[in-house]
Amino acid sequence: MESASAAVPAGAEPGGKGLKANAIGYLTNLVISIASVAPAYSLAATLGFIVAIDGMGVHAPAVMIVSFVPMLLIASAYNYMNRADPDCGTSFTWVTRAMGPRSGWITGWAIVVADVVVMATLAYIAGKYTFLLFNWDSAAHSLLAVSIVAAIWIGVMTWICYVGIELSAATQRILLSIEIITLALFAVVALVKVYTGGAPDASMHIGLDWFSPFGLPGGSSALIDGVLLGVFIYWGWDSGVCVNEESEDSANGPGKAAVLSTILLVLIYVVVAASAQAFAGTEGLTHHKNDVLATLGGPVLGSPLDKLLIITVLTSASASTQTTILPTARTTLSMARFGSIPSAFGKISPKHLTPSVSTLVMGGVSLVWTLFIINVSQNVLGDSITGLGFQIAFYYGLTGFACAIYYRRELFRSARNFFMAGVVPFVGGAMLTYIFVKAFIDNAPVDSAYSGGVFGLGAADAIGVGLLLVGVVLMVFANIVYPRFFRRKRETAPPNFLEQGRGPAVDTVTPE
Amino acid sequence: MPEIVVGYDGSDCAKTALDEAVALAKDLGDSVLIVFGFAPHGPGGGEVKAQRDAVHELGERITGEAAARVADSGVDHAVEMLPEHGADALSDLASEHDARMIVVGTHGESPLRGAILGSTAHRLIQIAERPVLVVHRESA
Repeated sequence: MESASAAVPAGAEPGGKGLKANAIGYLTNLVISIASVAPAYSLAATLGFIVAIDGMGVHAPAVMIVSFVPMLLIASAYNYMNRADPDCGTSFTWVTRAMGPRSGWITGWAIVVADVVVMATLAYIAGKYTFLLFNWDSAAHSLLAVSIVAAIWIGVMTWICYVGIELSAATQRILLSIEIITLALFAVVALVKVYTGGAPDASMHIGLDWFSPFGLPGGSSALIDGVLLGVFIYWGWDSGVCVNEESEDSANGPGKAAVLSTILLVLIYVVVAASAQAFAGTEGLTHHKNDVLATLGGPVLGSPLDKLLIITVLTSASASTQTTILPTARTTLSMARFGSIPSAFGKISPKHLTPSVSTLVMGGVSLVWTLFIINVSQNVLGDSITGLGFQIAFYYGLTGFACAIYYRRELFRSARNFFMAGVVPFVGGAMLTYIFVKAFIDNAPVDSAYSGGVFGLGAADAIGVGLLLVGVVLMVFANIVYPRFFRRKRETAPPNFLEQGRGPAVDTVTPE
Repeated sequence: MPEIVVGYDGSDCAKTALDEAVALAKDLGDSVLIVFGFAPHGPGGGEVKAQRDAVHELGERITGEAAARVADSGVDHAVEMLPEHGADALSDLASEHDARMIVVGTHGESPLRGAILGSTAHRLIQIAERPVLVVHRESA
């Protein structure tokens, strides 16, 4: 058998049968949930930009909490749609079924575009932090040098996904443990230094208002711009939830893992955000927004522990790259099998059993985009992550609506259905829609973006919404080329489906 | 009739393993059970189902070819496709059938690589309740 495809499955473990299943499966689920989100990388990429938002003041930790609310609501949509389509379908399939082929197609496009855009930020951080690891500051600030490492990074990561290499569960656990311990150590040492006078003059004492979403100097506009970035830091959490739901029948283990991973994540983000801000002050974080963790590592942890922080960001970024490429290649694979994009994307590598064309094209497009944006944008991270926020809000939002629509005839059968399958996903979708629209207006002026404007729009809007609009144009073509897919009828949940317990509501065979 | 369970993915070393298993089955008067196990790797999310379905189609083709390969030898054989990772699929099935042994090929990974990245043969040796025969590609 393929050594490559023999890696440890999500939620299982060698010998993970019988008695050991709960104990080990539980921990593995927890690891997968958190590793998918890649906290160290997410913080490195985003924290500075959240603090740097005009009118954010000291409220960045509050943004970490508020951003989680829409994600939690959408998780209910994931949970319920997963029951209808238990084999871990995601947004493309669900939205296609519930809201029709056009909404579904554009959802698939949004997922792909988000992947391509995030690859640029991952590769950029990988490039920059690799040089910082070796104290090679001049290279870390050279576009050419960072571009080269970024290109290599994307090549290697794509290859890993194509070949299907996966770290064993034990290795993943060790890496994630190091990540969490390092972040915790960073937070603790930073706070100790703040309160014992070892921190720079700009340091601040933590105040209760840091955790309050009210009273931002910039009002709700600043909060919403922050949440758009915050959505990004929790991106990927859903895949852990999805695994948890289906991996084992055990009533306790997976559910507990989901809850515990949630609490852990929010805690990590809030604590690290607060302690970083306490140590460096809002000015300090704003000034180093492109590489917060790298610049704070030295003063907080000292040598050589500061390198551990950089290594953690790098391993975290590689985990994140995997959880980006894999699901996205599967999405285009699924789109091809639905007959909505060229059938070549449906090819499976006979050797590696991975979606070959989907994975390689995704890597190639990501590479081109990354080299383009690194060399064009004045601030890759700033513009891309805001842009990503739009794309994530867009397809998570649609997923929320899709759930409420799919189950609309079941909602009045019980209070539980009404709230969990209807109200909660719908409110999640509505929140994300509101954030999308409000943030679009805020980011529309050319001078609001780090890189200025494209076609008279701010760069973040152009990357975020402009690329979605390209998808609309492509969909018109797809409509002509793939008329069969676009004639698909919308589906609803079978009557009493939620009362009859689990089971596939839809054919297990992928439709043509 | 005791069974010999073979892990099969259509690769050259799997073919070598299959040939070895067939030769043994002939000598021992056993039958051969060809197993194709697969579960998408990596975290959930994305349309895992699409990959699973696509690989299932591929697996049917590959095991069909394997069955044809065995047919020429005259040894009794059957095909089983399991939605699990290779090692788990093989080990479970072998225990269930009380198989004489499990035969797998190896791509020649080093033990270290197997420990860090996981390999079917490496894991199988750890988890299988039935005896395991690991066949190197060159040994054909």
